[in-house]
Amino acid sequence: MVKFHEHIISDLIENSNGGLVVLSSGLALPKLIASLLFLHSPDQGTLLILSATATQKQSILLSFSTFNPQNPNPNVPTEITSELAARQRDALYNSGGIYFITSRILIVDLLTSKIPTSKIAGILILNAHSLPETSTEGFIVRIIRSLNRAAYIRAFSDKPQAMVSGFSKAERTMKCLFVRKLHLWPRFQVYVSHELERYPPEVIDVRVPMSPAMKVIQKAIIEVMDACLKEMRKTNKVDVEDLTVENGLFKSFDEIVRRQLDPIWHTLGKKTKQLVFDLKTLRKLLDYLVRYDAVTYLKYLDSLRASESFRSVWIFAESSYKIFEYAKKRVYFFARSSAGKSGGQSGIAINKKRKLKGSNDDEEGDSLSSSSNGGVHLEEVLEEAPKWKVLREILEEVEEERQKQALLGDELASCSKEEDNGNVLVACKDDLSCMQLEDCIMSGPKKVMREEWEKYLLSKVKLKGFERCKTAKKKPKERKGIGILDGIVPITPEDNVEVSSINKQENDALIAAASEIRNLSKKDVVIEVSPQIHAKEQGKGKFKTLLKRAQNSVNERSLNSSVTTEKSGTSGSNNENLRNVSGSMITDHAGENPEKSSLTCNRVLRKHTQEIDASVKGNIKPIPLVHFHALDSGQLILDVLKPSVIIVYHPDVSFVREIEVYNAENPSRKLKVYFLFYEDSTEVQKFEASIRRENGAFESLIRQKSLMMIPIDPDEHIMGLNCLSDPHDPLAHNSVTRKAGGRKDAEKEMQVIVDMREFMSSLPNVLHNKGMRIIPVTLEVGDYILSPLICVERKSIQDLFTSFTSGRLYHQVETMVRYYRIPVLLIEFSQDKSFSFQSASDIGDDVTPHSIISKLTLLVMHFPRLRIVWSRSLHATAEIFASLKLSQDEPDEVKAIRVGVPSEEGIVENDVRAENYNTSAVEFLRCLPGVTDSNYRAIMDGCSSLAELALLPLERLVELMGGPIAARTLREFLDAKYPTLL
Amino acid sequence: TSSNFVQRSNAILVSHRQKGNPLLKHIRNVRWNFADVIPDYVLGQNSCALYLSLRYHLLHPDYLYYRIRELQKNFRLRVVLCHVDVEDVVRPLLEVTKTTLLHDCSLLCGWSLEECGRYLETIKVYENKPADIIQGHMDTDYLSRLNHALTAIRHVNKTDVVTLGSTFGSLSNVMDASMEDLARCPGIGERKVKCLYDTFHEPFKRVT
Repeated sequence: MVKFHEHIISDLIENSNGGLVVLSSGLALPKLIASLLFLHSPDQGTLLILSATATQKQSILLSFSTFNPQNPNPNVPTEITSELAARQRDALYNSGGIYFITSRILIVDLLTSKIPTSKIAGILILNAHSLPETSTEGFIVRIIRSLNRAAYIRAFSDKPQAMVSGFSKAERTMKCLFVRKLHLWPRFQVYVSHELERYPPEVIDVRVPMSPAMKVIQKAIIEVMDACLKEMRKTNKVDVEDLTVENGLFKSFDEIVRRQLDPIWHTLGKKTKQLVFDLKTLRKLLDYLVRYDAVTYLKYLDSLRASESFRSVWIFAESSYKIFEYAKKRVYFFARSSAGKSGGQSGIAINKKRKLKGSNDDEEGDSLSSSSNGGVHLEEVLEEAPKWKVLREILEEVEEERQKQALLGDELASCSKEEDNGNVLVACKDDLSCMQLEDCIMSGPKKVMREEWEKYLLSKVKLKGFERCKTAKKKPKERKGIGILDGIVPITPEDNVEVSSINKQENDALIAAASEIRNLSKKDVVIEVSPQIHAKEQGKGKFKTLLKRAQNSVNERSLNSSVTTEKSGTSGSNNENLRNVSGSMITDHAGENPEKSSLTCNRVLRKHTQEIDASVKGNIKPIPLVHFHALDSGQLILDVLKPSVIIVYHPDVSFVREIEVYNAENPSRKLKVYFLFYEDSTEVQKFEASIRRENGAFESLIRQKSLMMIPIDPDEHIMGLNCLSDPHDPLAHNSVTRKAGGRKDAEKEMQVIVDMREFMSSLPNVLHNKGMRIIPVTLEVGDYILSPLICVERKSIQDLFTSFTSGRLYHQVETMVRYYRIPVLLIEFSQDKSFSFQSASDIGDDVTPHSIISKLTLLVMHFPRLRIVWSRSLHATAEIFASLKLSQDEPDEVKAIRVGVPSEEGIVENDVRAENYNTSAVEFLRCLPGVTDSNYRAIMDGCSSLAELALLPLERLVELMGGPIAARTLREFLDAKYPTLL
Repeated sequence: TSSNFVQRSNAILVSHRQKGNPLLKHIRNVRWNFADVIPDYVLGQNSCALYLSLRYHLLHPDYLYYRIRELQKNFRLRVVLCHVDVEDVVRPLLEVTKTTLLHDCSLLCGWSLEECGRYLETIKVYENKPADIIQGHMDTDYLSRLNHALTAIRHVNKTDVVTLGSTFGSLSNVMDASMEDLARCPGIGERKVKCLYDTFHEPFKRVT
């Protein structure tokens, strides 16, 4: 444990009421939480952890289990889910244990008095930065505080930037969580910096120059960005000072723009909105430029071009053709068959020009390409990412050094063996990069590029073929190639109307090249795929490659035994096979502790070794054992792997902090860290700016802290527990009346029946705060039932627009009208956004069907009984509800639940429906053609998941969907071939 | 009276009370003329509208109620068209909402005279229009349906649909793809992979 964590914890514990901790990102928050959990003992009561993400849970559990392996704490945190029956949940709440729980389950159990609040020791709330002021978490805290003042609330955030977005956000968050103390732990805090900088690791900064084409693309993107920003400035909607290209490079830019535009977002014109999206797209393009290889980048651009509508502004900007042009040039170009023409493509670094498929049968290749496209043929460039080579060199250097060291002093090495396991970690942004780098190291960058290129071409040609062979269901791949080569499929792209003749020729050349590859790959699998032979091509070298997932094996063999005997008949083997074959041959460090390894996610670690046969004297230098880690996965890696060399392939501030913490915790280990930056790239700028931003955020928080108006008075009502100051206990509405039903109280108190799903929003919280009794149930019709007559469907502005488009709103209103006397559509605006649908200038001159006015009008005309309530804000809604209820009877819970429920479906007690269903999958299913309101339940009963549905044969679908027509529609849609890009 | 009937079918009838209301300038897509009618606007055989400016309501809080009472039950659709022309809306809007809700009127709000005028025009123009544009009948071609389905999954955008389509060839292949294959698609990051994979592979019903 790092010292400053001890400081944080003792500061936090000092205050029995709790506090809000904000620390720099990467300062091992999960470890901090785990240490806190470790201090918990069951006799204090039950400890609940709210709003932790899945990866956070995992990391916390992992840290928790590593603290004291000899004497493990029996009090391991577990999860309370909605699958547990009410009685089981009750037992857990009483047990004194530590539980992760969702705020929705907790609030419903609190409102229905199923939680013995006196048994709650306290609550930990993670990601405090993401809580809105009227969050359900705040609701929970308010109820718990009112019943059990001894319970502590400890909230955490490691996103200081998010903590300062908006006006005095920290203070407001603290007020709504009823905590008084703010603990700030920036990286520059003296304890932190002192500890982390005491034994600095050896850091090597490597600046890699970008290729000339990359530079051109980067410059072009920035120019386009500038053009978009100029357009944006013209709209006069955003502060001009913020509209700089410099700002546009960073993710924070979206926030800046959003914050300014959010209040008026729905009143903005199409063009302004489009500009905001475009800027985001452009920033992505910059990011991917340094992350993706040339072919993948081109593929992304292709997809982008196919999906960006004519509305995008950026595509028409002057420089944007350069982006496409040079992205293509990094991969291939077209040359006239007459020799010497290719020299015209100067100005780009062409690493390797090679006529397509030069190695094998030149004759056939030439004849094919020339015959099919009359003069234009394809030259490959396949530019490799400049960092690849550098990575390889670093790895070689590491290995060299290690061998030198081994020669120098065998003893020394062996005694420090335990400390230095020789692990090398390469950290990159995402999984895609991980997999690719792995392939790169294993089989060389050329082969990786070649494979990407072939995939790229094949996806084009395959798609081309698909259109023709719509009947082919099972194995379309075989047929496709044949179809094209036999000339069954005409190579003319029929979907491109405006293709000029030159473009057409180029397309033909692309398709021809692709079909050659198809042909080739069928014939010469061995040559193209097997890495061994590839190595031979490279020179005299012959290396054996091992690769596997770290978790798969738990055996304890030494590293040296990891040289496999080569499978003799590798002819058909590909990488995938090798992975499996070598799986059992490698020592697994993570595997030494089975518990540990089971906690790490399958996808984090990729282990990979390369060893050279002793007899080989080739020019391929040895490289060490390498692990790859995707930063996006957010998992703890350093403590599991304990690397001695870390190569930061994609620089990231919070990972740098993690390295610092790791280094501080293991001072005896000699750590070497390499940073790989592209020189003069936006990557560098971004990295530096994120540090500046974080420091800025902390400075602002420190200032805010000094001005905070949080009373020190321990008496809680001053802090806003206004309902407490009354004789009415806040839970009176929820417990007293339920038991006794004291006539007088019951008359005064208002009840609202609320659908479970609505607890994602803040309205129940606000209603409760107004003194209404909240009855959470699962409703089939409506969101809120105010009286036996009034049923309310609530829509935020965003929801209103989308549910009009999907037809969902129409359907909901239809059922409400069927079952209730006064069906109500509540249109709720948000307080911090402007109160109007659209700006006057956007109304236009004509009545158009897509305007919100037209849709709303149609709704009103078709449902004249529908009442519309326009609410300025959440709080206004609460007032309206209260006022509407004055003249009405209280709603009947039992009746409300039954409304609209198909009678054969029983009512499940405590059914938290939304959590029991994979809602995303159900929604998706209902979007598919052939699926209707009447058959989707049967489909869900008949197969477990969408993946399974994808494979169901037609006959089975006919059974499930109750008819051949619907079934055929669905089957055909699922198997329809996606149209080509060409 | 026969000419009156013809007028009734293709023009908005405006009460003489509305004389001088600047709103009338903004009714341009339909014909309108003054007539002796009880509501402010008669928009069709069964529909009518009352116009209310919130500013006026603040001065005469009972006005709306009396006007509604006058209408009796002659119209199936009774719209109260509320012009939101004050800054502090919460209180007056609450009163108007309550009155309309308890007296069988549909409340529509406009923030400008143009918008109010457009509502009147639309009700007239759409007099006989079916509701299909709000019933979610989307385009039926393959690509729109595919877009519609895949973008229903959180975080998935149209570019991703193209990427997925061209990489996997068909929807069933996308639905059956492994996490690794999904992760290999450009632009599909950790978060999207998870959303996609979970949608397709988590069972419909999570209950065991």
